Amino acid sequence: MKHSQDLTADVAEVLLTEEQIAAKVAQMGQQISADYAGRELTLVSVLKGSLPFMADLMRRISLPLRIDLMEVSSYGGASTESSGLVRILKDLSAPIDGRDVLLVEDIIDTGLTLNYLLRYLKGKNPRSIKVCSLLDKPARRLVEIPIDYVGFEIPDAFVVGYGLDFGEVYRNLRFVGVLRPEAYES
Amino acid sequence: MTDEHAILGPRPDYGFAHASEAEFARILDFYQVTWDYEPSVFPILWDLDGNVLESFAPDFYLPDLELFIELTTLQQRLVRKKNRKVRRLRELYPGLRIKLFYARDFRALMLKYGRAALLSELSGTLGQMMPHPEADDSAAAEPRSGAFDPSVPLDLVPAAPGASPGPRLHRDRPSRAARRRAMRKAAEAAAHAPAT
Repeated sequence: MKHSQDLTADVAEVLLTEEQIAAKVAQMGQQISADYAGRELTLVSVLKGSLPFMADLMRRISLPLRIDLMEVSSYGGASTESSGLVRILKDLSAPIDGRDVLLVEDIIDTGLTLNYLLRYLKGKNPRSIKVCSLLDKPARRLVEIPIDYVGFEIPDAFVVGYGLDFGEVYRNLRFVGVLRPEAYES
Repeated sequence: MTDEHAILGPRPDYGFAHASEAEFARILDFYQVTWDYEPSVFPILWDLDGNVLESFAPDFYLPDLELFIELTTLQQRLVRKKNRKVRRLRELYPGLRIKLFYARDFRALMLKYGRAALLSELSGTLGQMMPHPEADDSAAAEPRSGAFDPSVPLDLVPAAPGASPGPRLHRDRPSRAARRRAMRKAAEAAAHAPAT
């Protein structure tokens, strides 16, 4: 894969500006604060893509909360080829039994990873578990899972930025943009 | 980690008709989504005597999700044919959930998983066929569309009197058990076929 030194040059279109994202995250944080008032909330971020969203969202939630991080292997990744099965690369650092868990995702497309993660986390006996995703790409959905908090429903395009990558690049863009086909077809 | 849904044992040889189907099955396995390959054949067209003229066998069934998936990475003409069959299937079996997975969906999936290099091997038209080792050259060169020709399901249901069997696609069926299930479902569906 070849990418430009100026990452924005590989972006065909800005889908969501920094300002739009910030406003939406603030709104989501307000809603989550209202819904979970008086409860024991744990935000679980799924690495790596959801990091910027998690960092912004947690600061927009006005409740005492805990955060935790998880990472799962992705199909096609070098670390997974030996087993052929999805693996937890980084597990929770604290128990979640009896707690209200909000799984924080950057994007839901096929729902395959989310389906696996929810099954895994439910086995840890949380009081409740809900899903919060900045982006939802329903056109790609294979596994229908209710998403409790959605920032933006986006069209069927390859998007990068604000945590989302292609080949581990573009995560640091402050906006969400559509990647030029030349960037992934080269 | 253990998981009751995990597929831990070796998979039987399903004899996938396409490399894309095999890749899709590997993705499902990876994410521990249980699946079955072409377990059901649904009649979608009958003659005036109630004999099945046309059937449709979706590629995958995901039992935990109660979802059929049909992969279509073929040329546009065949995609239209498949769209028509899926539409008919939805009309006749409204409770059935089926998702048509187009070439662009598969391409996006491969891009997402960093497998873009595989696309040139998996996409295309006739080049998608994975020749069966025992198949003769002519059979191996048959297009995938043959799998959905009326002739294929007709070996599971009584053929219309005088109907030509038509060309047959040389391919493996998933397993005897799957074939038995498919035959049973086809027979049940035929028995409950709407009067024409």
